[in-house]
Amino acid sequence: MIKQFIDFLKLAAAYVRLNFSAQLEYRGAFFSQVASMFINDGAWVIFWILFFERFPVLHGWTVTDVVALWAVLTAGFGLAFGIMGNGIQLASSIAQGELDMWLLQPRAVLPHMLLGRSAPSAWGDALFGYAVYLGFVRPDWSRMVAFVLLSVVVGIVFIGFGVLSGSLSFFIGHAGALADQWRHAVVSFSTYPPTLFQGGVKILLYTAVPAGFVSYLPVETLRSMSLVNALLSVGGAILVLGVGVGVFYWGLRRYESGNLVSMNG
Amino acid sequence: MRTQWLRNTWKYTWIGYTAARSELAYSAANVSRIIFMTTVLYVFMRLWSVVYEGAGTDRLAGLTQAQMLWYLVATESILIAMPRLWYEIDQDVRTGALAVQLVRPLSYAATHFGRSMGERLVRFAMNLSVGSIIAILLAGPIQFSVTGVVMFLLVLPMAFIIDFFGALLVGLCAFWLESTQGIALIYSRVMMLLGGLMVPLDLYPDAVQPVLRALPFAAILHAPGRMLVAPSFELFVECIGLQAASVLVYGLAAYALQTWALRRLFVNGG
Repeated sequence: MIKQFIDFLKLAAAYVRLNFSAQLEYRGAFFSQVASMFINDGAWVIFWILFFERFPVLHGWTVTDVVALWAVLTAGFGLAFGIMGNGIQLASSIAQGELDMWLLQPRAVLPHMLLGRSAPSAWGDALFGYAVYLGFVRPDWSRMVAFVLLSVVVGIVFIGFGVLSGSLSFFIGHAGALADQWRHAVVSFSTYPPTLFQGGVKILLYTAVPAGFVSYLPVETLRSMSLVNALLSVGGAILVLGVGVGVFYWGLRRYESGNLVSMNG
Repeated sequence: MRTQWLRNTWKYTWIGYTAARSELAYSAANVSRIIFMTTVLYVFMRLWSVVYEGAGTDRLAGLTQAQMLWYLVATESILIAMPRLWYEIDQDVRTGALAVQLVRPLSYAATHFGRSMGERLVRFAMNLSVGSIIAILLAGPIQFSVTGVVMFLLVLPMAFIIDFFGALLVGLCAFWLESTQGIALIYSRVMMLLGGLMVPLDLYPDAVQPVLRALPFAAILHAPGRMLVAPSFELFVECIGLQAASVLVYGLAAYALQTWALRRLFVNGG
């Protein structure tokens, strides 16, 4: 088990290196996408700073908490799709019959395929997340370590959720638009303080739209440095990933080759 | 001369009409925008509920909570109705389709203008209709005045035209950049932040308000949104002036950039 995990980490490191090299062939496009995503995230944080200047406290949440929310969300998202970029377009890949190539290789299909591409703009998100947490929140060492670990946990939630939503294509055909909207909903809800939502919506935010695991629990962990919240975050991430992987392999039994002929360098 | 002008207007209007019909045919994309809008409106309904409750007042920047949500319906409807013009131009440049467009007896910019306006009108009408239904369900109806609605409808076309020029300028950057995706993302975020998409400019810090009101983004989002929910003749006059200046500046910049870009164009046969 441990040997397999180390083997997987080596494969992931090799893919990250290769994907980076590939992206640097189009240096201008790569750096402009990274920079623009960094500015995009920055615009949202500026919006919140201006907002809190007018309304300083939002049901117990301050501007620092909301910035921490953005930081952990963007760092997790960036890590997830910077390393496993195919998680974003899984629905389209399945619908177009592009899994054939990965099925033929002597590796577990899902992790191998996820590693096959990197989303350039995701690196802008990751960079922003760590930079804004260090620069704006100015954490002590223990919080910074917790933040780094939690960003990995959030990344796992995004990957699990990406696999789950993308796997819909096995069951309902081309689910690209639906998967995108579902992901947008998770991201949208994750970027606002959880204290805004109550009742049935709160249940939804820990089930169908798992924003609770993406940002609320991780930020609560950083606020209180509570081990219980940390364990709940990790548990949530494992749950979302487990459901995603389960649904993927269930759906894979229904997969039919697209007879797609393509060149892969 | 006049006949030629009329003929051209008819030609580009027809392009707009066909684009509008085509937009109506692709309902999946419209459903997608509706889901997005519903999410945004719900989240902001909750956000404003908490803010109004915390502030202990029934009016902020002169708007009630319901008016605040309707303001967002107007601004969001305008923003998400914009077709991905920059992407189309980017693709025209990258694939060489531009060469085919240029030999047609049509102006490249005017063709995109007609198409973009056709698509945008349909999208805007749908967004506004659905947004209004959601706003009624979440916050209830508000009182509209005939003068306000007329002023809103008068400033709306100019807002679309300025935004078109903005997107054209971004798209034309494809002649120099490997990808315009990044610059388009920044443009939309700047518009969101400085145009008062989610929060009226009246709630921004006092020091930055005069600057933001003088920028073209205010003429695209803030002024039309405010005109719909809390109209005033002063704002209307201010908005028309800003829109005229913005159209002039953006239009000249787009003309200059297109002329410069086409000079760099090399077409290889094949």
